[in-house]
Amino acid sequence: MSKKKTKVKLELTRRDFLVVAGAAVGSVVAAETLTTGLLSPFANLKQQQVEGVAEAVHESGAGVFHWGMVINLDKCIGCAYCQRACSATNDVAEGMEWNIVVEEKNTAGNTFYFSRPCLHCQHAPCVEVCPVKATYLRSDGLVVMDYDRCIGCRYCQVACPYDARRFNWERRHVDDNAWIPTWGIPEVDRRPRGVVEKCTFCIQRIDKGLENGLVPGEDYDATPACVNVCPVEARVFGNLNDPNSKISKVIEENATLRLSEDLGTNPSVYYIPPKEGL
Amino acid sequence: MATTTLARKPSVWTPGFLAWLGLLGVLVVIGLVSAFWVFVRGLVLTNMTDIVPWGLWITIDLSAIALGAGAFTLSAFVYLGGYKKYHSIVRLAVFIGFIGYTSALLTLVMDIGRPDRFWHPWAYWNVHSVLWEITWCITIYLTIMILEFLPVVTDLKFFDRWPWVRKVAHILHKAAPVLALLGVMVSLLHQSSLGATYGIVKSRPIWFKPSMPIMFILSAVAVGPALTMAVAFVTEMITGKRRVDHQILFNIARFSGFALLVYAYIKIWDLASVTYYGRMPAVNEALSLLYRQTAYNFGFWFGEIIIGLVIPIILFLVPRFNRNPKYLVLGAVCAVIGVIFNRWDITVTGLYVPLEYSPGTQYQLPAGTYFPGLVEWGVAIGIVGYALLMLTLGTRFLPLFGDPKPRSQAGQGD
Repeated sequence: MSKKKTKVKLELTRRDFLVVAGAAVGSVVAAETLTTGLLSPFANLKQQQVEGVAEAVHESGAGVFHWGMVINLDKCIGCAYCQRACSATNDVAEGMEWNIVVEEKNTAGNTFYFSRPCLHCQHAPCVEVCPVKATYLRSDGLVVMDYDRCIGCRYCQVACPYDARRFNWERRHVDDNAWIPTWGIPEVDRRPRGVVEKCTFCIQRIDKGLENGLVPGEDYDATPACVNVCPVEARVFGNLNDPNSKISKVIEENATLRLSEDLGTNPSVYYIPPKEGL
Repeated sequence: MATTTLARKPSVWTPGFLAWLGLLGVLVVIGLVSAFWVFVRGLVLTNMTDIVPWGLWITIDLSAIALGAGAFTLSAFVYLGGYKKYHSIVRLAVFIGFIGYTSALLTLVMDIGRPDRFWHPWAYWNVHSVLWEITWCITIYLTIMILEFLPVVTDLKFFDRWPWVRKVAHILHKAAPVLALLGVMVSLLHQSSLGATYGIVKSRPIWFKPSMPIMFILSAVAVGPALTMAVAFVTEMITGKRRVDHQILFNIARFSGFALLVYAYIKIWDLASVTYYGRMPAVNEALSLLYRQTAYNFGFWFGEIIIGLVIPIILFLVPRFNRNPKYLVLGAVCAVIGVIFNRWDITVTGLYVPLEYSPGTQYQLPAGTYFPGLVEWGVAIGIVGYALLMLTLGTRFLPLFGDPKPRSQAGQGD
């Protein structure tokens, strides 16, 4: 004990070294074949799921489309039809609304109505933090979720600055959606217990519409339910990358703002503030 | 080979020991029943909500991993620093680390919504995610600890029957320094990434700061060895056998004391720069809300600073106290409570602050409220039961105090 420092001697024979090295190489190879290789139990998963990239984007290469939305707070009357249509079309449970509508006051004390879908940030915190790439950014600007991959850790929920994410704390009851069929018919499956969910800009309509040669934002069947149902046309949807699209013109002609721009999230949803200001 | 196992007296099962095991068994059963209910009904049974989606279980994860840090710190002492005399406590430290990490993983499996998909981080990589990196590091480190620990288990008499198992384990044992080195690197990485889990989230004003990873690793490095030291002392008090040289334990306590001082130093400057001089509007608002509506201030000053730092620093560093095992154990308990307070304050209180993204003035998310539900406490009790059970059985039956020289004395004095 008198000697304070004693070097720990590493005694490895060549044989030991070969055994350890062989085991290491063997386990790497085994891991590789078992996870992504031939013996993988995940082999039946779609390749796009494994790679986590936007294969679902059809002929749309990056840069052709960037889906976005303008919400005109000056026009909005707070009827919350968008919320109902959304909840019916996407079969969203009560209390887990993807699209919220709330009453607000501006600094002058006047009431206006504020609504918020998922903002489909181009630099989305939820995409970055997801440990399994269950949330990813498609090349058409949509932030989408793979419900089959989500492990339900809820880090995305914690990281989203806009409270746009909802977690399925329990299994849904059969008849918990009062908005069906008055406000729409579900077009997507219910999410299972234990995964996070969020607004998709009605991705099912966009993808199907593009396949059928429709223009999302102009043709009814290819446009998000909330946009279609709005009685005062407060919501405009379309391709931000097309300078001739309706949405691009609206943004050009109006002063717009985006939420919490200082966070650097670069959202795809633009707001036109009320005329009397915020 | 058979002589390497320790000779033990048969009178292990004293009534007191059995009663203690029975108590721990009850705790574990409570945990199992709660876990079963959560698997059947889902996380709706917990009191977590969309506003506060992380709660007691995440706090346990973080605390357990921080408390397991003694393993890598003391391994670094021995294998990197070359302080070979600390070798006699490394086994215990690694064992405690193993318990901490398995506790954390068990709680994590409870906490995720889809436990059946626990393997997804290995199959689907998001290399940009801190949580992905943490999952990888923790599982790799757990594997390393198991490999490091295998020779200890195979030294049991039980394995006399299969000498080849022992042989394989001893080949691994020769690689122990390499494994320990790898373990130290991986630990450094994920202990700080756990802080980064919070530190990188820009939408949460009181989380978003670069000091977060540093404070996490410092607190872990300070408290982990202290816990190991305390366990060694408590084992000695119960069994009456001096397994580890007291001087080593005193040194560890002193080290912990200094590490806590460093941690306190950075913590105070962090407080000053973020809240006092920083005055970012969001941070100010968040803190004033927390001061008004929650016990954050009390938790911070009383739980983290007084209990977690001041008391243990005094007990570990003042000569009047730091030669007395009882004070040192008390100090370690305080430091452990401080770490748990800290992880709770960060995780849960951080989530209380409502997100501010609305352009208007009226609509605000309500400030979060959260108190763990019955099943959450149940699982927590079960985890504590598991940890104590492992510790009891380990210290009783495994040659944890693997001092190479006084092996002949180890079995005496029951």
